[in-house]
Amino acid sequence: MNKQELIEKYIPTQSSVEEKNNLLLFEVSVSEIETVCQKLYFADKMTLMTMTAIDERKENNSFKIFYVFGLPGEKFFLVPYLKLQNTEEFPSLVKVIHETSWYEREIMTMFGLQIVGHYYPEKVLLHENWPANVFPLRKDFPWNKKIEMAHEKSHRFKRVGGEGIYEVPVGPVHAGIIEPGHFRFSMLGEEIINLEPLLGYTHKGSEKLFEVLPLEKKIALSERISGDSSFGHSLAFCQSLELIGDISAPLRAKYLRVIFAELERIANHFNDIGFIMLDAGFSFGGSNGARLREMIMQINQRLTDSRFLRGVNTIGGVKKEISDLMEITSKLKEIEKDFKEFINIALDSSSLINRLKGTGSMDSQIAKDHGVCGVSAKALGILSDARINFSYAAYSKLNLSIAIEKEGDVYARFMVRVKEVSSSFSLIYQALNELPAGEIKTSSISNFKKNSLAIGIAEGWRGSIVYFVATDNEGKISRVQARDASFLNWSVLPHVAVGSVLLDFPLINKSFNLSYSGYDR
Amino acid sequence: MSIILFIFQALLIPGLSPLIVGIIRKIKARFQNRQGASIFQPYRDLWKLFHKDEVISETASWIFRYTPYLLFAVTIVISAGIPMISTMATFSPLGDFLLFVYLIALGTFFLALAGLDTGSVFGGTGSSREMTVAALTEGGLIFSLFSVALLAKTANISEMVNAISVVPFSMLAPVVIAFIAFYIALLAECARYPFDNPATHLELTMIHEAMILEYSGKRLALVEWAAANKLLIFISLGTSIFFPWGIAQNVEIVPVAIALILFLIKILVMAVSIAVLESTIAKLRFFRLPDLLLTSLVLGMIAIIITVI
Repeated sequence: MNKQELIEKYIPTQSSVEEKNNLLLFEVSVSEIETVCQKLYFADKMTLMTMTAIDERKENNSFKIFYVFGLPGEKFFLVPYLKLQNTEEFPSLVKVIHETSWYEREIMTMFGLQIVGHYYPEKVLLHENWPANVFPLRKDFPWNKKIEMAHEKSHRFKRVGGEGIYEVPVGPVHAGIIEPGHFRFSMLGEEIINLEPLLGYTHKGSEKLFEVLPLEKKIALSERISGDSSFGHSLAFCQSLELIGDISAPLRAKYLRVIFAELERIANHFNDIGFIMLDAGFSFGGSNGARLREMIMQINQRLTDSRFLRGVNTIGGVKKEISDLMEITSKLKEIEKDFKEFINIALDSSSLINRLKGTGSMDSQIAKDHGVCGVSAKALGILSDARINFSYAAYSKLNLSIAIEKEGDVYARFMVRVKEVSSSFSLIYQALNELPAGEIKTSSISNFKKNSLAIGIAEGWRGSIVYFVATDNEGKISRVQARDASFLNWSVLPHVAVGSVLLDFPLINKSFNLSYSGYDR
Repeated sequence: MSIILFIFQALLIPGLSPLIVGIIRKIKARFQNRQGASIFQPYRDLWKLFHKDEVISETASWIFRYTPYLLFAVTIVISAGIPMISTMATFSPLGDFLLFVYLIALGTFFLALAGLDTGSVFGGTGSSREMTVAALTEGGLIFSLFSVALLAKTANISEMVNAISVVPFSMLAPVVIAFIAFYIALLAECARYPFDNPATHLELTMIHEAMILEYSGKRLALVEWAAANKLLIFISLGTSIFFPWGIAQNVEIVPVAIALILFLIKILVMAVSIAVLESTIAKLRFFRLPDLLLTSLVLGMIAIIITVI
């Protein structure tokens, strides 16, 4: 569909539509936002890509709240937005579109806008000692301000009453070297009745830092939003910057981006496959997963001088070239063969399969309500993959098979990873084979457009990564929202845990393997 | 001579148990393509822990403080009653198999109490899980030993060993069945796969490790050592009762020397079998453990029935 058709089909007739890069924006009044979003989400079956706010009090004395909807296969995203003038309240859409819940709570916490009609308006991300009336993403909050600890009330966990119910607090410090996060289980015997995760322990104020750092450092910052998906994040960010800067990466760079992105996916899937087996008590699998991941990491190191592929992406292309194509191909073929031998041994183990099947099943309606994306969605048969839905880089020129499972349990998430490893290897071979000659980087970076907006999407190995970028009237970047797949998937994890036994939780959690840092930012 | 041998035999268990743990860990490490720590590492760990300060929760009572001593003492007392190299060098009043089973249960009982004592959530969940497993294990353990006792017409372990070693091969079917029942009970009692993962760092999945999370320093060393002793006690009891051939029935030098070598080989084989098992299977889910323990119980009963018939 072209732009005009999209507007006619999906946007209310009387609205005035602004086109900004890959966004079609139209203002909606507070009273109508619910109906407009409901139509786009349910009737038109669009995906809510992200939702965020901008503080424009200096320019036009208002806050704006953007609801970014995407339609698979379309170049443009439809963005109804609210303009809040003379008010600091906005209506909650939770009752119609459940997945707005955590976005709304985040806007409330960071911008100090009050949600009207939310069932659980608790602060997110910021520590409970953060003072009540300090809102870090408002423009009048200086990024380097030192905050006094408030020591106010402690976070109110949902209480479950009744005879024999007890609480198990776990974390934020865990056994083993993993990220911090607190889990509050309400238990009846071994069965989990309720689980509430309390995250935010690794909140670094990244989105505020995006507003002040110099451009090169902004890209470096995006690589550190979630360290294990450095490349996915920098790719999504650079793609949004390229739209605003009105430049595009050369074809060779697009192919190289595919290769690097898939290397990152393979390395992390190896790791997860190993850890899922380890947590099922299948130690043979655990050590082999770690070994295979290390082999990919060493290839990364050789190609880019960075095990995590940092410093590769830049605006207008990539900085690292791949020269010895044959050698890389043969190395990867060896690793793939190694992996296949190992995974066949593992899948022959009936005790392992028995442990994984049926554990941590996810209800498909709950998953949809929470907007689950990436591996967890594919394990339920939902085709959630930005490489197909919102094709970028050189994916549209390559033959990509999407791994889909039906059951939604630990086994399904495990198998999606196993299959994705194979399809990623195939993508890399194709890209290496067809790698076009030419530049890897567009030479000059022109200035950014003024008062512009764009979103950049990449399919990280966990799921979609969305960057929402805005510039001010001098063409400086004034707002960056980095939405990791973990942001959505963390909200569904408690629902999967309920009804399971506590002993299974580490395995269920590992099968999602969500990023704390990517959520906390 | 017999006194020297008695002391030597009683010290075999605490002396060798860390080595057995080290060997199992080494084999598992090799299965995982790892170099693994030296097989003597458990000794060093104990040495290190004995030299560390300890922290005891303010809410802990005497149960928490004394349980490690009790646990360790129980394993030493049991060791004195098990014939490993000579049936003539055991302390016979301690050799009753029912006494063995309930001394083990006494240790488990106090460890579970100690887990609850500090009031930490993990200690409590660990204790609750341990008691579930222990209650279900007891049947299989008693029946497997009882079938051998019936065959040998005695409840004394040393006399059982003597009797079984002269039973003709054609009569050994119940012994083999009882051994399988005993082996399953061994894995459950000693917190091995597929019941528990002795190497896990995940506090939510632990059973034995969760109960002892609050221990540190010297008491932790004693608890760890007692756990290693328990493993070696089960291994040597299993090899002695079910494979008694070669155990000396006197205190002469030559038969005892041969018995010692055979004993070392037998416990090594058992240790290897546990290590291989743990490297090749995944842990069972908790609510399927009763099935396996029920299997142990039923096998024990079958062994008894065959013996009686």
